[in-house]
Amino acid sequence: MDRRKFLKQSSLASSLFMVPSFVRAFEKVASNKLGYKRLVIIQLSGGNDGLNTVIPFRNDLYYKERPTLGIAKKDVIKLNDEVGLNPSLKPLKRLYDKGYLSIINNVGYPNPIRSHFRSMDIWQTATDSDAYSQSGWIGRYLDNYGKHPYSAIEVDESLSLAMMGENLNAIATQNPKALYNLSKDPYFKKIHNHHNDVHLSEHNLGYLYKSMIAAESSAKYIFETSKTVSTTKEYPNNKFGKQMKTTAQFINSNLETKVFYTSLDGFDTHVNQLKKQNKLLSIYASCVEVFVQDLKDNNTFKDTLILTFSEFGRRVKQNASVGTDHGTANNVFVIGENLKKQGLYNNMAGLSDLDDNGDLKFEIDFRTIYATVLNKWLEADDNNVLNKSYNQLDFI
Amino acid sequence: MKTKDIQHLYRRIGFGILPVNLNKLSKKSKKVIINDLFITSKTVTPLKVDITEIKKILSGAVKMNSKLDSQTRSKIQKLDKQKQIELNVEWISRLTNSSEILREKMTLFWANHFVCKDSSITYIQNFSNTLRKHALGNFKDFVNAISKEAAMTKYLNTKQNKKQKPNENFARELMELFTLGVGHYSEEDIKESAKAFTGYSHNLQGQFVFKKHQHHEGEKTFFGKTGNFSGEDIIAIILEKKQCATYICEKIYRYFVNDTIDKKHVNAMADVFYKDYDIENLMRFLLLSDWFYNEEHLGSKIKSPIEFLVGLKTVVPIEFKNSKQLQYFQKLLGQTLLNPPNVAGWKGGKNWIDSNTIIWRLKLPSLLLNGAYISNVKKGNRDLEIERFKKKHGKRFKTSVNWKYFDSEFENVKINDFQSHLLACDITTEAKKHLETLEKVSKREYCIQLMSLPEYQMC
Repeated sequence: MDRRKFLKQSSLASSLFMVPSFVRAFEKVASNKLGYKRLVIIQLSGGNDGLNTVIPFRNDLYYKERPTLGIAKKDVIKLNDEVGLNPSLKPLKRLYDKGYLSIINNVGYPNPIRSHFRSMDIWQTATDSDAYSQSGWIGRYLDNYGKHPYSAIEVDESLSLAMMGENLNAIATQNPKALYNLSKDPYFKKIHNHHNDVHLSEHNLGYLYKSMIAAESSAKYIFETSKTVSTTKEYPNNKFGKQMKTTAQFINSNLETKVFYTSLDGFDTHVNQLKKQNKLLSIYASCVEVFVQDLKDNNTFKDTLILTFSEFGRRVKQNASVGTDHGTANNVFVIGENLKKQGLYNNMAGLSDLDDNGDLKFEIDFRTIYATVLNKWLEADDNNVLNKSYNQLDFI
Repeated sequence: MKTKDIQHLYRRIGFGILPVNLNKLSKKSKKVIINDLFITSKTVTPLKVDITEIKKILSGAVKMNSKLDSQTRSKIQKLDKQKQIELNVEWISRLTNSSEILREKMTLFWANHFVCKDSSITYIQNFSNTLRKHALGNFKDFVNAISKEAAMTKYLNTKQNKKQKPNENFARELMELFTLGVGHYSEEDIKESAKAFTGYSHNLQGQFVFKKHQHHEGEKTFFGKTGNFSGEDIIAIILEKKQCATYICEKIYRYFVNDTIDKKHVNAMADVFYKDYDIENLMRFLLLSDWFYNEEHLGSKIKSPIEFLVGLKTVVPIEFKNSKQLQYFQKLLGQTLLNPPNVAGWKGGKNWIDSNTIIWRLKLPSLLLNGAYISNVKKGNRDLEIERFKKKHGKRFKTSVNWKYFDSEFENVKINDFQSHLLACDITTEAKKHLETLEKVSKREYCIQLMSLPEYQMC
């Protein structure tokens, strides 16, 4: 199905079933002016301990399984009578209070894998746990809907598998100026000065020239567009803060980029977890809060959706080194201005029904989240991108 | 043998050939040259880094019959990490300097066929050397050896494959990726064959262990045959299918000949291979066939990052002073040896190229060899700013460059003949026009200019 046909059909379908007709008429006009929807993905690498992130502080099992690792009830930032946030997530609580945060609990996939590489691979390629793919889910989105490499940007030095398509790959940059400088040697310009795409064959060498020309113009476009704005916001001085700052700059300069990919590493907390995880969560939350404010100041937050995930959660029971081992289901954060379901999307798992390893059983397949974001936010045919049909959720 | 054919041969079974050696070989016949390739690759030289410290700890634990405590484990993990980098460095240096060049290139090919990764240096080093050992041997022995490697039983969970609770991961990939390709088996075949591999495991030092009590004794029905099959039986039954020979030959063809399959030629290869699954015979047939040297294959493939790096090092030897930078280099270009993305491996071909990798590939020769400088001065002019430029921009990588070696290798090559040595394909008209307006300042500067062309990415 081509994109236009799909959009027609999907808007028809949704409007027919859900919205009264006068709203539908309004929607038709507004959809062109709705602004440019963007998705920001934040990958927490290493397997963030979800149970010490969103805490079931009324559950005795939680404290029983984590006698020296559980976060004391008095320290938990309470969201309701049962559930609270890690004390390092104060900035996130403020977003929660404004209705900008939706927490989806127990997200995972069938037959979970507890290896970092493989599980991250599954999250990035959106395959079943017994299948392997050489393209990522954002990459396949690009194959179908991207026009340029910069249609999706990884704010890093090189591309993750998530960003590689069958035919089109995203571009990676954490420093647009450096990338531009690297690409613009006068020698390169001269050797393809008069090349135009017509002359370039589909053969490998032609493909190299095309890629070279596209890369140069992408690097130039990203640099020259993004330098038109500079933020006045003070971001925390760390690598993740820089990534978020650069991302905000990209968005606020109206770069025609649909997806941004960022990551924060270090969540593999087998030993002495508390201090380590608290620090990382604090970095995460404080950077995201500034980022949201930065976008709000530029009126771009309403068109931005932020998705945070980790490759797996961790075991319910703490280990002998006051840490946790690799587990399964975990929470996913969705941050945005007009969420349909604010706060807790679903209940946390009871801790009594665990699998053979003592890990949580998943309730929501992460690919239903992808499908929802693709369909409802990026207006894409999720079947095409995920090669399978998944249920839609209603957080947006 | 024609020099152009020798160059093509060496670009595919190695990483290129230098003028002095090319000159020597051009006096020999094709038969002799190819025969020599197999003779020099008869020997197998294992790739090894020093892991005595880890071995000592492990054998100590075995003697004590105790499990490792967390402190020892984290010590081993640290050593593992460090040694993996060493092994990676050693591997790249091996590719640059080995006389067993065909064997090493085949090993590289198999490493992206039997894809595996493991955090233990002991297991992954063994695995790498099993690839090396069987690279030109018998394919059936090869598959059996792979199925019993500690790293593989971990990577594809054969270790967790027990009669009470079968794990189908290995059985599935054995057929999907290692032997037959998608669509040539049923889900039932996977289930049944998984039972045959139950009990495959390894000990702490990485030796194969068959755990009889975990093995499924009993009938399995696989590809229409019924019996109490072992893992080895299953592999034998798979190899009875001609599809297996065809699948492997397609892969070899794409790797050594052309991204686009020629069915007729692949079938001819499969006929040879199916007879006895002897990899050496297959490669001999391939390299001796006339069509291997057809015009349309010359310079038609995009180099892998490792081919790009090793090829460059072959022309101008460079050493990274900091091995972390060599890792970084591989990461930037999208291929770090010992660290494949998943069991499907690197897709290769056009997929090596994205906006970032093309920018790096074009800029790296000048960055590594020449302080980031690519001469762009018009005929009759001189660039007086060269040294200042290099000082300012040339600090990215810490390398030592052996230009003297290049000088002596190319001493008797006229500068106008450089192209045929450095580039595998013709230069596009535009690039050629531009090059003709430029001053050939020196052999070294001209070498950098040629290496900075997209054409240099072809092999």
